[in-house]
Amino acid sequence: MSGFSGTLALTKAEIIRLRRNKRYLIFTIALPVVLYLALGRQKAIEEGVSFKVYYLFEMASLGAFSGAFNNNTIRISQERKDGWIRQLRLTCLPANGYVIAKIIASVVVTAPQIAIMMLLGRFYGGVDLPIWKWTVIAVAIWLGTLIFAALAVAIGYWMNPNSVQPIIMLIFLFFSIFGGLWFPISGVLGKFAEATPTFRIVQIGTDVVTNGTVSWAGVGVILVWLALFVGLATLAVRTAAEAI
Amino acid sequence: MNHTGTGPVVSFENVSKHYGSLKAVDGLSLDLRPRETVALLGPNGAGKSTSLDMLLALRKPTSGTIRMFGSDPYHAIKSGQVGAMLQSGGLMPEVTVRELVSLVARLHPRPIAVDTTMRRAGIADFADQRVDKLSGGQTQRVRFALAIAGDCDLIVLDEPTTAMDVETRRLFWANMKEEVAEGKTLLFATHYLEEADQVADRILVINKGRLLADGTPEEIKKRAGAKRMSFRLDQANEPFLLGLPALVSLEIRHDLVQIQTSDSDATLYAVLDAGYRPHEIEVSSLGLEQAFLAITAEDDAADGPSAREAIGR
Repeated sequence: MSGFSGTLALTKAEIIRLRRNKRYLIFTIALPVVLYLALGRQKAIEEGVSFKVYYLFEMASLGAFSGAFNNNTIRISQERKDGWIRQLRLTCLPANGYVIAKIIASVVVTAPQIAIMMLLGRFYGGVDLPIWKWTVIAVAIWLGTLIFAALAVAIGYWMNPNSVQPIIMLIFLFFSIFGGLWFPISGVLGKFAEATPTFRIVQIGTDVVTNGTVSWAGVGVILVWLALFVGLATLAVRTAAEAI
Repeated sequence: MNHTGTGPVVSFENVSKHYGSLKAVDGLSLDLRPRETVALLGPNGAGKSTSLDMLLALRKPTSGTIRMFGSDPYHAIKSGQVGAMLQSGGLMPEVTVRELVSLVARLHPRPIAVDTTMRRAGIADFADQRVDKLSGGQTQRVRFALAIAGDCDLIVLDEPTTAMDVETRRLFWANMKEEVAEGKTLLFATHYLEEADQVADRILVINKGRLLADGTPEEIKKRAGAKRMSFRLDQANEPFLLGLPALVSLEIRHDLVQIQTSDSDATLYAVLDAGYRPHEIEVSSLGLEQAFLAITAEDDAADGPSAREAIGR
């Protein structure tokens, strides 16, 4: 089992690094918190739920996804260029250990971030939900983190650090805008938005709050994107093997 | 878990690596025996790095077989039998030197105490500094520490002393001797010839992806045509000197005669037998550098005509 303990050791190191990274902490924790504190108490209604609930899901998702995606993509791309991935290949770490550690670390570090947003929603926004509803919402956002961490691996392996920045901006804007993370989407664009994982994750949140159900079509869409990005990530890691 | 078998630690069997029409490595065959210290010498682009990459399972050979401890290189690496340091190997930023060395030790099935590793690599002084804040020479030593963080049987180093100053380099090799004394096999690529001369038991000279020479530093020097001799002789007679046995080259400046010879004894006896009494006789070996240049130049010259032929066709 030395392979697994090695992956675990690397995961721990990745978590230490994330906790030391100010840029990461600002964008994934501080920014959503500040935005929610500033705007979270408005009394409008969106998607059948109060704005403070909708905005809570938006901000929690935004922070989690940008952390898992933006940060990971840049790092993986940079670490590939710097030769750290190459160095790891000379150790006893299993071949997939690096990627697994990255994904686990982002998912683990996201947990307190989601918890902070939910505590904020409960005690600042006054969003009062039973525990099971909070749990479903947290799991949905967590799944989203996984999707974006997988996409980060694919892009990080394929692209160089200097060209990766605008690409991740575009991709993240696409998913966050069409997913309704910045403002609610409706009409024709709404139909289109239904195909995005980000929209479906927020939808799970609003559905659970309003009628306590989860759309299985939504779960399906999320799992399809997860499978797609995990597939892309695997392909990227394999094709890059000779070049690393 | 030192390798005690008598089989080769590493064997290349007719290994080639082609990138399109470029033959980076071209039919390389060699064996490394247990407990040898072997230097891999060659000019830039000779195929050193590609060979080491293939040995370390980072690249696949186009053809041929590489075995390490009797199994495929990937398996040998993942079982912790090899510690390696590459020029292209990077370090994880945002952690301290100690954290990084501890991490790599934990990845190894037979970790060595982190303090021991740091002392051997000479990095204990800056153990608590962040990895991304180190100088080039310090970074190089941390890379070395990662190579020796676990108990391995073979150490592979690609130009390990690049970016080190003279004193650090001396310390590096002193520490390296500790590792070798434990019965490890060491393979290193270098472009510092005096390093190969002083450290290695055996030198492999490669050029254009082929093995040109394989022997002790002494044998390599001998192979290149040997010794340099100089003496002073008042009435130096050029035709006579040119007729000396084993002569490779001759230079006369006033009374100073400088000779390159493949057999210094025979050359000197011939001078004495002819009744001359030269003084200030000095005989010295060719440096490894001259030997190396001679061997690779020979190879380049040998390739010349055929290369031209190929273009003519």
